[in-house]
Amino acid sequence: MLFQQITNGLTIGMIYALIALGYTMVYGILKIVNFAHGDIYMIGSFLGLFFLKELQVPLYVAFIFSAVVTALLGVTIERAAYRPLRKADRIVPLISALGVSTFLISVAQLIWGTEMRPFPTTFGAKIYTVGSVTISEIQILILVLSCLLMVGLHLFVKKTKIGTAMRATSISLTNAALLGINTNRMISLAFAIGSALAACAGIMVGIYYNAVYPTMGYMAGINAFTAAVLGGIGSIPGAMLGGVLLGLVEALAGAYISTQYKSVISFAILIIVLLIRPSGILGKKEIDKV
Amino acid sequence: MKQKRKLSIGLIAILLIGILSACSNNSGSSESNTIRIGLAAPISGTQAQYGTAFKNGAELAAAQINESGGIDGKQVEIVVSDDKGDSNEAVTVANKFVSDKSILAVVGHFNSSATLATAPVYNKSKIVQISPSSSAPGVTDAGEYTYRVITTDAFQADYLADWSKELGYSKVALIYEQSDFGIGLLDVYKQAAPENNIEITATEAYNPGEKDFSTVLTKIKATNPDAIFIGGFYNEAALIAQQAQKLGMDVEFIGVDSLYSEALLELGQQSVEDFKLIGFFFPGGDNAKATEFAEQYQASYNSKPDTYAAYSYVATSLIIDAIKEQGADRESIKTFLDQVKDYEGATGTLSFDENGDVVTVPSKLKVENGEFVLSE
Repeated sequence: MLFQQITNGLTIGMIYALIALGYTMVYGILKIVNFAHGDIYMIGSFLGLFFLKELQVPLYVAFIFSAVVTALLGVTIERAAYRPLRKADRIVPLISALGVSTFLISVAQLIWGTEMRPFPTTFGAKIYTVGSVTISEIQILILVLSCLLMVGLHLFVKKTKIGTAMRATSISLTNAALLGINTNRMISLAFAIGSALAACAGIMVGIYYNAVYPTMGYMAGINAFTAAVLGGIGSIPGAMLGGVLLGLVEALAGAYISTQYKSVISFAILIIVLLIRPSGILGKKEIDKV
Repeated sequence: MKQKRKLSIGLIAILLIGILSACSNNSGSSESNTIRIGLAAPISGTQAQYGTAFKNGAELAAAQINESGGIDGKQVEIVVSDDKGDSNEAVTVANKFVSDKSILAVVGHFNSSATLATAPVYNKSKIVQISPSSSAPGVTDAGEYTYRVITTDAFQADYLADWSKELGYSKVALIYEQSDFGIGLLDVYKQAAPENNIEITATEAYNPGEKDFSTVLTKIKATNPDAIFIGGFYNEAALIAQQAQKLGMDVEFIGVDSLYSEALLELGQQSVEDFKLIGFFFPGGDNAKATEFAEQYQASYNSKPDTYAAYSYVATSLIIDAIKEQGADRESIKTFLDQVKDYEGATGTLSFDENGDVVTVPSKLKVENGEFVLSE
């Protein structure tokens, strides 16, 4: 049972990690929490459903299309709802984010209705048994694709020129601009990548649970945000670690303590970690200049 | 600058007053020539789909009476108010309804907790409240103006325990929603289990809206039950069945009437095959009223009605019948309901007992080839 629970936990943890990356990248650069991110994930999932069902494209094409369109949506949201408020007090973009969140949910409810919808693919149902562990095709996809996406992102940020420019922007917006980096473009890029990853997570969750619905972004968003804070918000490896850790803690606490209290336990761990390391597990200590 | 701001605030205030007075004008003028029935349901929020079903069912009942000329020439209007599935919001909605004298009765609320929270408000103002869906045992004693057209969880869980024995289950695991509804089911089933020679192998709760049941199911798998009893709603039931299949579990499922929905079949697909459940609303069976309602619903909304749409339709129809018989008066609606005997509705033949609880008999159903059929 232990290994089965670890597999369950890792699967959902990977999803948290993918969504958490969007929170952390935006926070890393702009120091704002994009509370609409969970709903961007929901839109990504619905777009995947749309491409699969209405346009009848193969699954991998649905992933690519949905990621691209969701990335554009992320960029548009930043343009419309955050960029005009860049100079405003930090609370203002937060309110704007909540507005975007409500807007996205309402639009999804108008277009796709309020009820849960099944995901039109036969992929993922096959199951394999390894020893005492049962693992489904979709779980394997989640584990493998998430790892690939995260390794890809890590290499992109660390090894490429644009990645370096992004990191520079996250260290200091002003200094990066002085060095000739187009910081607005970097911000757009962070939104685009975060949204595309969320779209991939959305489609995979849609297949895993065979269910998509307009309010699915809420809990997923909260959990992913928790993962980002746990790992150290602003840190990319931190978001990955936080997501996986949160997934595992939820599964194991659910298995050995109580499923009713699994959220209580994971949030208690979050509080304890923050008390000991206020900047999260891998977060950098920030010195606030007065 | 400051003056400009003051000016704009003033303008907004004037605008708001204008809008508000426009609203009250509207309700004032409609009072005289319409009959108004309140509908309180979660129109937004995580339970929005159940609220939509409520609204559709009630509005269909109103549309039908209006097409045939209304009641004494007056049109029936359903006044929808969103309680968001939240007890606090529900009390606000209830206060709004009771203070509006043109509202004759209220269909609602969805959640048992919302119905229990609002019952004192309705009972104090002596206005009839018929809940289409609140099945928690506590609603029985909620007050003399609180009625419901759904049976209690106690009744259903007890009935299911008997049926489990007939089906030959000796080991059953329970998965229930962490709410008045789920806990009510759990308690009664657990109590009825020993006398039916059923061993309860595990009891696991989940929070409403939970999507991941792999942890719970992995735990249950280790206890090796014959069947899993689900005390919850269809969305979660479909997810549970699907995820059980992905974990390679060989187990049967049994559950209450709230699982009866097309969504269970669509979301669960082949994993809900042979799922056992009881139903009060079953079109295509031996209840002609149910079949008729399902056809009319399909024609109006281009989708199949679920249980809640049917219950809401029945609750609204009862109120409409009461007004037709006894006139447009809050108190006489109650008089009518107390006298209802063997009313033939879409959810079966029903009467009310002295507590306002419904008395009726369910059908035993199962899923076969992706459809609900009567189980023998």
